[in-house]
Amino acid sequence: MSKTKIVDARGLACPQPVVLAKQAIESHEHVKVIVDNDTALENVKRLGTKLGCDVKVEKKKDGAYEINLTRKGGVAGAKEEFVPSCSATSAQSGPFVIVIAEDKMGRGNDELGYVLIRAFLHTVAGQAEKPNVMIFYNTGVKLTVQGSEVLDDLKQLENEGVQLLVCGTCLNYFEIKDKLAAGTVSNMYDIVETMSSAGRLIVP
Amino acid sequence: MSGQPQYFVMLFKAVSYVLKAEKILKKEGLPHKLIPVPKNISSDCGICLRFEPSIQNKIEAALLNKVEIEEIRELAD
Repeated sequence: MSKTKIVDARGLACPQPVVLAKQAIESHEHVKVIVDNDTALENVKRLGTKLGCDVKVEKKKDGAYEINLTRKGGVAGAKEEFVPSCSATSAQSGPFVIVIAEDKMGRGNDELGYVLIRAFLHTVAGQAEKPNVMIFYNTGVKLTVQGSEVLDDLKQLENEGVQLLVCGTCLNYFEIKDKLAAGTVSNMYDIVETMSSAGRLIVP
Repeated sequence: MSGQPQYFVMLFKAVSYVLKAEKILKKEGLPHKLIPVPKNISSDCGICLRFEPSIQNKIEAALLNKVEIEEIRELAD
């Protein structure tokens, strides 16, 4: 009975880690739970405290956390039902959105801004964590048409499942609608809806 | 593609050199791409020009006596 039960909850979606931890502590005196995100860490810590356990957290080099739960006394029964919180801190509730509002990045010098936006898009295309949606409006739409110097980056993002919404009014204004080479023509309804539902929104 | 890198990057002393080189290469119609300096080369927020190894000579000739090139390196994938 004194053996430590190890629960490896890395890679599991909320509330799985805390559910597994709860099952384990109900039948073992000592449980070591390994999690890889802050939400799971907070939930398991909260569970341990609530069940009257001794809680010790150790941060590992690879970014994971080891949470040691030890039952104090004999009884580990929650008086009320434990409700894990899956929408805490780092958890996202909506899509990750990047808004490209101009064909440059930052204000002050346009030549430099054009250098920066190209570097930005090239870097986004190479990132492991890609946005779900990218929105282009105003002069930002110029980056999505034939002759754009970032087309290969945008096409790569598109191929990897990133949705590119390009403002139709803007393409029309610059008279480049027939030159669209990446993304799909979109409208203010989709743009507003996407922005409103975003879990995270970046405007470089 | 055994051994041969897909791209080279050309590094310069200053951003203004990169822009000058870019203008020349555009005028000459030599394909290239402006990208951030890869992290394994420098952690500075720098930019450089990426190009295919096959046109290295043409690029160097176009920039000769016009823009000082600091270094040309292979771009590790």
